[in-house]
Amino acid sequence: MSLMVAVSACFMALSFALLTTLALRHAVLGRRDQHTADAERRMRPLAIGLMEDGDPVPDLSQADQRALATVMGRYSRKVSGGTSERIGGYFREGGGLAAELEGMRSRRAWRRAAAAYALGDMACPEVVPMLAAALEDRNDEVRAAAVRSLGRLRDPTVTETLVESLVAHRVPRGMAGAALLQLGSDAVPELRRIAAHEDAAVRQVAMTVLGLVGDSGDADVALVALRDPAADVRAAAARALARIGTGSAEPALREALGDPEHFVRAHAARALGAIGAYTAVPRLVEIARTDRFKPARAAAQAVAAIDPETLVAEAAGPDAGAHLHEAADLALI
Amino acid sequence: MSVVQAILGLLSWFALAYFAFLAGLYTWFTLVAWRTLAALRRARAYAPLDEIYASPFAPGVSMLLPAYNEEAGVVASATSLLALRYPRHEVIVINDGSTDGTLQQLQEAFDLVPVREALRSRIPAKPLHGAYVSRRHRNLWVLDKENGGKADALNAGINAASHPYFCAVDADAILEDDSLLRIVKPVIDDPDGLVAAAGIIRIANGATISGGRMLDFRLPRSRLATMQVVEYFRAFLVGRIGWDSLGALLVVSGAFGLFRRSAVEEVGGYALGTVGEDIELVVRLQARLRERHAKFRIAFVPEPTCWTEAPEDLKTLSTQRRRWQRGLGETLWRHRRMMANPRYGAVGLLALPYFLVAEFLGSVIEVFGIFIVVAAVATGAVTVSALLAYTAVSMLIWILLSFSAILLEEYAIRRYVHGRDIAKMVLYSLSESIGYRQLNAFWRCQAMVDLARRRKGWGTMPRRGLERPTEAPPGRMTRV
Amino acid sequence: MSASGGDQPVILAADDDEDILQLVAFRLGRSGYRVLQAHDGEEALALATEHEPDLAVLDVGMPKLDGFEVVRRLRAQESTRAMPIIMLTARAQDTDVEEGFDAGANDYLRKPFSPQELKARVQAMLARR
Repeated sequence: MSLMVAVSACFMALSFALLTTLALRHAVLGRRDQHTADAERRMRPLAIGLMEDGDPVPDLSQADQRALATVMGRYSRKVSGGTSERIGGYFREGGGLAAELEGMRSRRAWRRAAAAYALGDMACPEVVPMLAAALEDRNDEVRAAAVRSLGRLRDPTVTETLVESLVAHRVPRGMAGAALLQLGSDAVPELRRIAAHEDAAVRQVAMTVLGLVGDSGDADVALVALRDPAADVRAAAARALARIGTGSAEPALREALGDPEHFVRAHAARALGAIGAYTAVPRLVEIARTDRFKPARAAAQAVAAIDPETLVAEAAGPDAGAHLHEAADLALI
Repeated sequence: MSVVQAILGLLSWFALAYFAFLAGLYTWFTLVAWRTLAALRRARAYAPLDEIYASPFAPGVSMLLPAYNEEAGVVASATSLLALRYPRHEVIVINDGSTDGTLQQLQEAFDLVPVREALRSRIPAKPLHGAYVSRRHRNLWVLDKENGGKADALNAGINAASHPYFCAVDADAILEDDSLLRIVKPVIDDPDGLVAAAGIIRIANGATISGGRMLDFRLPRSRLATMQVVEYFRAFLVGRIGWDSLGALLVVSGAFGLFRRSAVEEVGGYALGTVGEDIELVVRLQARLRERHAKFRIAFVPEPTCWTEAPEDLKTLSTQRRRWQRGLGETLWRHRRMMANPRYGAVGLLALPYFLVAEFLGSVIEVFGIFIVVAAVATGAVTVSALLAYTAVSMLIWILLSFSAILLEEYAIRRYVHGRDIAKMVLYSLSESIGYRQLNAFWRCQAMVDLARRRKGWGTMPRRGLERPTEAPPGRMTRV
Repeated sequence: MSASGGDQPVILAADDDEDILQLVAFRLGRSGYRVLQAHDGEEALALATEHEPDLAVLDVGMPKLDGFEVVRRLRAQESTRAMPIIMLTARAQDTDVEEGFDAGANDYLRKPFSPQELKARVQAMLARR
């Protein structure tokens, strides 16, 4: 009995402690949040003056400094050019950079990850080697943050490192791909080189990103990749040609319409539609009538893009099939 | 000591053991939840939402919105889904043979045009009367079909989906702007293994909503709804995180859940003939994937929030709870093969037995437990002081767990920022153990009777509709 | 065309992101323009109709009315049909560019953008009038 009383007393004490914590935390945090929001609002004009006019940083309280750093970090994600360089200067001189570099050496994973992330928003290109090294960190969140930041800093020399870390499954595919994309046309020479890599996964990623950041001058790489032994690479090449292909890609794409893999056929059809390959229309209509769902639908939509009149005419015929009907109805809207 | 006394004494010990097990499990889950949410808080400092948004690598998602007699809010729901911050998604509203103005509302609001849509036929579903696309929003489709129930409607939606992932959404649910971005993160982290992701469900009854967006989070005025708010914290925040940590998440709520389309197609889509089609699908996915020794993940993401309308009167609430219990029972019965079966890992050995004993039968145990304990005291098998002690301790533990859940929410998620609301929640959690739990247990017992009597169907759930304007958006509202 | 009444050209800047709005307003204000600020599509449309600015800088993704819709409506009004419009977007898709031009925009800047570049394009566009 007395044991029960003791236990009950314990629980009541715990409940009381929890309640007090709750109340205190709420009061303190609420006030702090309000102050932070106010400080950031006040610091914004200062930040703009810093970035645009090169104003010096005045003496500020600790809280204000933090707010200014936050605002500058936000801006670093939104601006480029000379403004961006001045942001880098601010973090270098103000010490924010040093603090995060220190954070990268922390023994706690979350601190390293936060630091890796923050470094991407400081517009200081000299941290790139450190971030590239962080791609080998033992914690997955640190690696993901490093990838994201490398994308932000847009240094084309890390292209191959990014691709390798992606292929080695050290970082999520989507994030590495997004980072490569940010490098933009600067990454193209490197991507062209690794489009012939011995690893099919590397070739596939290179082809995908090349398709998104390259231009018609890179279509030659895609045309070669259309004959790659790996289906995923062929599909990526076909997808790329939808954007960077020109009329000269038509013969190769028409050949790809007969690929054994259905998703390659689908992407080839789509690319033909994007190019406007008029002479491919009869073949596309055939595919739309008879092939599996994905390539048939892609083919029907390609015909809609190239020659809507023929599409409507074919859709009115017998055995036109669901995909031609759908594409025709959509084209008429 | 007579035989009766001995039996009653034994049963009382059993009740005590059952309670101790429950309390222990939830305490363990609470500790896990603390750790997970602390990590989540820190991880916010490096959440790459902007990158996912701007990335063409973000997977396409088809939002499926089954609607049956939802004229009060279907346009607002569809509007808010279209306006979600995401680079590549479509919205498919499935009008499941509504007898009210659901289709007309959609037609007027979105300028629908009939299209002979090509549909997959991998999953059987009731035939369509027609398919429409919105002239103004080319990524909004409406399927008009014969009534077949929610599962059938979802299956039709899956057949029409063009993206590799789909998200089943309830007609009265509102998602936050970033909900899709967040729920897709496990897919980006593990694109080959992720099969389903669950978001967290919260109660919107007290919130201010305008243009399909949540503006302010307050507690509902209704006492019953407030009680449910506290209950959801405990069940969702703590329970789901706990099961997810064991790799045995069984509940991806039908109100907001993301699935990989090919995985669902392979197991045959949603099952008909059960009111618990959401939990049934997940259990079946767990079963098939484990049978195949596939490497897969069904994740719970505590951040992406879905806000729904909670029942504010006893009748509607009891209907809802009875339906949940029936759904659970139907699922447990359909997959009884998995129970305590090591072939199904943590799901078979831990999760399913837990759901059977604590969630399903637990209600019976609780209701009868009261009688047993009273009888035990009356016959002297158990002393009054022991009973009092037991009652006090059990109540205190539940209260402690409730406080803990509220503190967790405040610490990690922080949607309720008004002090008065937090105080109110604390007060309500005190009274949850007295009355609300027991009421729930009673309804669940009623549900068992329903099951025995083979009652089917959803019952009517009158919808008030959350405060929202119903005018159509003039242009695409996808935010950049 | 412009009813600004002064010798300062009037520019409408619209973005739901306050950071960007303030930055654009500052940069263009410094260069001698008077800047009207709008936080969403509806406000942008209203201000454009009322003040008939000499040029508009519009974010694509705004609440209430997105950038594309604002452009379409401006082109449909006689008074604003010929107004030069520059659009800003954070998305990496090409389809945004196409849609922007289809809707009637004159130029396009991707985020992250250079404020100096924005100023240069504004100057060039106004000089052409």
